[in-house]
Order: sequence, then structure tokens, then C-alpha cells
Amino acid sequence: MFIHRISNEKDACVDEDNVFESLQWQSERRIGDMKPKVLLNRVSFWCVTAVTSAALMQSIAPVTAHEVKIPTEVTDLGKDTYKKYCSPCHGEEGKGDGPVARSMLPKPRDFTRGAYKFRTTPSGSLPTDEDIYRTISFGVPNSTMIPWDILTEEQRVSVIPVLKSFSEAFEVRKPDSPVEVGLRVRPTEKCLAEGKKIYEEKLECWKCHGIEGRGDGPSAAEQEDDFGFPIKPFDFTTGKFKGGNSPQDVYLRFTTGLNGTPMPSFAKELTDEERWCLTYYVMSLIKPEETKK
Amino acid sequence: MKKFGIGLCLSAMLFTSVAWAAELPPKKETPPDLYEGTPDWYRATYKDNVGLREGSGPFKDYFKPQMLDMYWQPNRHYEPMKNLDHSIFIEKERRDLCITCHEEATPGVVRDWRGSGHKNPKSTPYLSARTSEIEKRTNRILNEVDCFDCHADTKKKQIRMPTGEVCGECHRPQFDDFLREREMGRPNHIQSWEANTIVPWYAEAARRGYLYGQHGCDLCHSGAEKCDVCHTRHKFSAAEGRQPEACITCHMGPDHPDAESYGESKHGVIYHKEEEHFDFNRPLSEVRPGKDYRTPTCQFCHMYEKHGRFIHNPVMKGIWRMGTIPPKNLEYTSSLKDYPYGIKIIGDKIDIYSEENIAKRSYWLEVCAKCHSDRFADTYLKSLDEFMFQAHTLADRAQKIVEDLIADGYLYPSAADRDPYPLSDGIEKQLSPAFLGEPIYNAFKTLKGKFPVVGPILGVYGMFIQQQDNPSNIENMYNRLWFWYKLQGYKGTAHVQQDVSWWWGQAPMMMEFTKIQSEAARLRREGRIEKVALPK
Repeated sequence: MFIHRISNEKDACVDEDNVFESLQWQSERRIGDMKPKVLLNRVSFWCVTAVTSAALMQSIAPVTAHEVKIPTEVTDLGKDTYKKYCSPCHGEEGKGDGPVARSMLPKPRDFTRGAYKFRTTPSGSLPTDEDIYRTISFGVPNSTMIPWDILTEEQRVSVIPVLKSFSEAFEVRKPDSPVEVGLRVRPTEKCLAEGKKIYEEKLECWKCHGIEGRGDGPSAAEQEDDFGFPIKPFDFTTGKFKGGNSPQDVYLRFTTGLNGTPMPSFAKELTDEERWCLTYYVMSLIKPEETKK
Repeated sequence: MKKFGIGLCLSAMLFTSVAWAAELPPKKETPPDLYEGTPDWYRATYKDNVGLREGSGPFKDYFKPQMLDMYWQPNRHYEPMKNLDHSIFIEKERRDLCITCHEEATPGVVRDWRGSGHKNPKSTPYLSARTSEIEKRTNRILNEVDCFDCHADTKKKQIRMPTGEVCGECHRPQFDDFLREREMGRPNHIQSWEANTIVPWYAEAARRGYLYGQHGCDLCHSGAEKCDVCHTRHKFSAAEGRQPEACITCHMGPDHPDAESYGESKHGVIYHKEEEHFDFNRPLSEVRPGKDYRTPTCQFCHMYEKHGRFIHNPVMKGIWRMGTIPPKNLEYTSSLKDYPYGIKIIGDKIDIYSEENIAKRSYWLEVCAKCHSDRFADTYLKSLDEFMFQAHTLADRAQKIVEDLIADGYLYPSAADRDPYPLSDGIEKQLSPAFLGEPIYNAFKTLKGKFPVVGPILGVYGMFIQQQDNPSNIENMYNRLWFWYKLQGYKGTAHVQQDVSWWWGQAPMMMEFTKIQSEAARLRREGRIEKVALPK
């Protein structure tokens, strides 16, 4: 989809609006009708109009914060919700060892380590409450973690303190402040070429993800997560990124890293601009025909 | 744009392979050794070359190998060619002349090779990528792998049969994965030649003039040193190796009807009907269940190691293994309660519910859950456990009848009046308490093998050799019960073939049980009559 849109343009120059249109099309197909999506669309709208960078930054992270009140204490509602909807996979005590976990791949998250893959906070940090809320609401594609928009907002936020209670880390540490997403760079051909160079030469991402992003690089099969489970990178050319398929989502992954996995943060190795270019290049690897199956 | 993309990818691949070639780190690792970690006596009797002069294993001096063992177990038994001297071609490294001559001498071989990935190792992006990994590992450029690379022993200037150790020079990850079969113990492929000739009845049969009756044994147990058993020579096609038919020449028949039970199951039938839609060019780890395979293959189930990871061997998840070793979780009435009788070289009772086996079961469920609910899969495999517990119980009851008959002195002819256990003299001479444990070894030493040996594992000799009145009819009735019908029902149940489970399994087990009861009653009746008619 992405590639096709680009090629339809007059001189193969990437048009920002079109990129967003196509990406929104993808997110609509996958996420369905739910509030956070609508909110994200609003984020996209802001991005497109790009009023000020300050406005942008505000619209990324706190977007859920002013909408929902996240409790700090474990409540009966939280316990009940977790027990009924979460514990079959994640286990009574959040160890990722629920009764159906044994045959599931990827394995359900073990919350006792305080290691969360998808955050707005820097590498190694705990997630913010909003990060956890976002993952619960959006789900994790390429896994059995469905979007829990079927639950009420109140139910969803109620389990956040429950999840946090499984790891001591939340008692002794505070999450670092969310990274600043900043203003998107224009996804020009030059930028895409830069992204490709980073992917193939500078960081050699193909070693794990393969040259086409199919997860078949030479080191793919031997990757392991911090929980001792193999974590072969999935084929992301379907466009179903686990942490969300907007450019911001992908940019955030490169900026924050995926805690508990061998996928590090590139906040230090790459400038903000380079990470945007890498984002666009990675998204250009999406093959639309694969998304249909 | 699409073409441009493909071009980009290809050129990127080209670039990366050039980059690799430039790096070429000279990695020092020990040369591939199929016998890594084995004791000296073992290496001396299985690996050290003796040509066709001697056998192999602890009883090597009691038999000579079969002629084909040159090819089945080359390290131990290969002998150089005598009719046409090949040394000049090797000395002058005339790779071309191998092909020129054999194009006419053995055209089938050359055509196989021409169609193989070895002839064109850079013909697809996938092959190129794998080839550059090998180039990096071996520190050489490989535009082709030809006859010379596999068959020319440049030190001895002789033609060789390439064992897995030769293949492992390039395919080290596959070699190392294969080596890991040892972790699980027998039965496996890497120790298959060991299992073939370590049993005393092999040499005993040879001693009695039935060496070549065991033709099929050597052929079937030849997967220890040969890597062309699944992906056959000289095409060495991975796609061929991934198809169930690659296994069925060996895995079939009365003691392991794997081919029949899989092939006639819904898994197998759907595969047969939809084979053309199965994509066997994908490595197992890239297979998308339901899309590339609608039903699983032998390889997909058995080469799955755990947590989404595949391994280049099919034995890592075995729980009930062959189906012969009794489970720890039952109480036995026969001497099976004392199994393995202090013997060190046979497998101990299997604890089906050990931590290790529960984990292995969960790895099986990971495979099943790709297409079935965990609940359905788990319920099915729990039923397999129940089938096996009950089948082992039935076998124990049958063994009890046979053993009571022996204890009461009704075995006819008795152990005193029949041949001893096969190769008892060799057992006493070549083995020791370190192999058999004190009590069993002493029994061989003092009684010279003049005693019955019944049941799993070492009681199975009667399935393979008939000596003078040893075994008796009833012993082989029981052998068929636990070594044929129990195993058939086991594989039928495990591979989801209902008819094999019942009509090749449980039902004939019952019918052997019928015969055993009748035979026991007959022997007891005749024995009692004899006591009255011929009083001592």
C-alpha cells in the first residue's frame, strides 16, 4: 500500500498526507472501532497540519491521560477483571504461566520482571501507566493479546495497578519521563535511502530481520529473550507491528527499545532524524498482498 | 517500483555477501566428530577403520561385517577401490575428469548432481545467503560443490565415502544439531549403528550362518554416518528431506508402523490429497501452519524442538520413545517391578510425569496448538498416555503368566535342556558388571546363560533369532504382544490412526493374550499328566 501510493505520485516523491492516509487505512483494518484509535487519528491530523512541535509532543503521550483516570491502588474491580480476562494466559500471579500459556507462542508476558516491550519511556525504564493502558486497549498484533476494547474503560484501567503489583520494580522505581517524539521528518526519497543505509549497513538490522524484513536473517533463529524463550523476529512485512503500526509507534520502538528482548534502543546510535528515516524505510518494506492473508 | 525494490534487495544481498567475504574471520573450531564425547573403547570398536575384516561393537570379534557395511558405516568398514586406480585424478585435482567419465559411467549420478543445489549454490537468493554463510565459515569461495569435494581424500589420495563428518565441514550447524541426538539417548539416528551390532543376538545369528539374514538391519540402521538417508544422494534436496516419504522406507512395519499410521491418518490423507499446495521449499521455521501446510508432516512435528524453534533432528521431544520401556508410574506384578534389573546399558523406567517430560509434552502442545485448541490436543495426548498405561499393564499381566510358568518348572524344554541366551560366552568375556550390573553379570558368569530372559528390552532376542528350543512358543507370543502389537497400537494412537491403534494394536495384543493363556494352561496340564504318568 505504502509503496504503491508513493509510485502513484507525480515524481515518486513521498507525499506526507498520502503516507498518513495509507497508514490510517492500515490501522483501521486492524484496530477496529475503538476510542484510542479515534484519538490516534486525531494525533495524525495534528501531525499533518503540524501546527507547532510543542502541540505535537503534547498530543502523543498524554492523549489518554486526560481522557481516563488511572487508579493507583488495586481495587476489587481490578482483581476481578484480571482474574477473569487476564489470568488464563498471564497466570494468577502474573508470571505468564496461566493454564493455557504452555502451548501459546509467543508466550504471554511475565509481569514479575517489570520488563515491558512497548513504552514511551527510554530503554530499561518501567512503562508509564498510560503505556500499559495503551497496550491493553490496542492489544499486541501477531500474538493472542487481543485489543480489550470489549471491556469498559473503567475495567481496563482497573487492571493497571494489578499488573504493576506483580513486580517489585514499580515500588522502588518510577518510570522515566516519556521521550519526546518531536516533529516528524518529511519521508523523502533521500530520507528513505538514508533509512535503507542504516538498516543494511550502519546497524545491519538484516542480521536478525532479514534483508526484506521477513524475520529470516542469519541470526534470527538464535535470538532469545530475557525470560529464556526463543524470540525469532516475526515477519513485519505484513505491517502488523506489535507496538502499533503508525510511524510514531515504529519511531518510538527505535527510540525506546524493547525491554526484555534483544531489540535495543537506538536513541544513542541514531539522531532523531535518522530514526525517522529508518522508520520510513522499515514501513516501506510492508508488502500489501501479505496483509490480505 | 516493484522491480526496483527487488533489484535493491538483490543488490543489497550481493553487497552483504561481498562484505562477508571481506570479513572471513578464520574461526577455529574442532573438526566435526560424530563420536565426540564417547569413550575410547567405543571409538575403537565403532569408528576405527577395519575394513571388512572385523565386526563392530563389543562383540566385533564374533562376526565379520556384511559387504554393504562399506557403505552403511564407512568410517569403520569402508575399503578402497581395487579395480580402477583413482589416485591420479585426485593428485592432479582433475575435478573435470570425474564428471567427464562418470557422465557416461554413472549418468544418473551426474544428472542428480547437476540438478542439485551443490551444482548451483548461488542460483536463488535463499541458496546464495546460505552459501555465503558457509563461505564465511569455511573461509573459501564456493561456486560449486562437486564430486571432488565430497569424495576425494586428498591426504590418502583415495576415493572416500563421505560420512557426516565430511558434510559437517560445511554444514556445521546441521551437524551439531544432529549430534545433539546423543543427549536424548537411544533410540536415535546417531547411535543407530551402535544399537544394530551391540545386541548379542546379531553376532549369534552370524555365528549360526544367518549374517545376511540381517541384511535389512544394517541398511535400516545406516543413518548414523550417512546424511543421504532423508535427502537422498546425489540431489540432496532439502525439499525432499522435508516430505514425509523421506522417512517411510525405514519407519514402517510391525515394530514401528510410523508410515502406515501417519499416512492413513487424516493428517496424512490430507497431505496426500493436497500435496501440490504444500510449500516444501520453505525451511520448517518459515512454514506458516495452515497456509504452507494444512496438516503437519513427520518433520514438522518431530523436528520442532521447543518454543517456536526447530532443530535438525527429530528425537528431542520423545517421551514414550519406542513404546517398549515400561513407565515408572505403574505397579507391576511380573519381574517388571524390578526393571531394569541393575543393568546400566538399557533405559531406566520412564517417568511420564517428570518435570522434563511434562515440559516435553508442552512442546508437543505448542505444535498441536498451531491448528488445534490446547484443550483438544491435550485431551488427545492424555488419551495416548492412558492407552500406553493400559497397554503396559496388559503386557505386564502376560509377562506374569510366562514367568509363573517358568518359576513352576513348566517351561518345556526347560532352560537346562535348550540353548543358552544368545552369545552368552561373548557376554561373559566382553562385558562386565560395569555394563550389566553385578547380579546380572554374575548370572551369566555362573550359569553361562542357561536361564530364560523375558520381556523388555533384552528378552526380545526371540524376535530375531531362533536357537535350539530357545525361545519357546509362549515366549515369542509374549514378544509379539509387547514388541509388535503394543508398539503398533502405540504409534496408531500417537499418530491419530484409529484402525492401527485398535486392529493392529489392542485387539491383536488381546489375541496374543488368548494364546498365552491357552499355551500356559496346556503346558501346565501336560506337566501335571507327566508327573502322574512318568513318576521320577
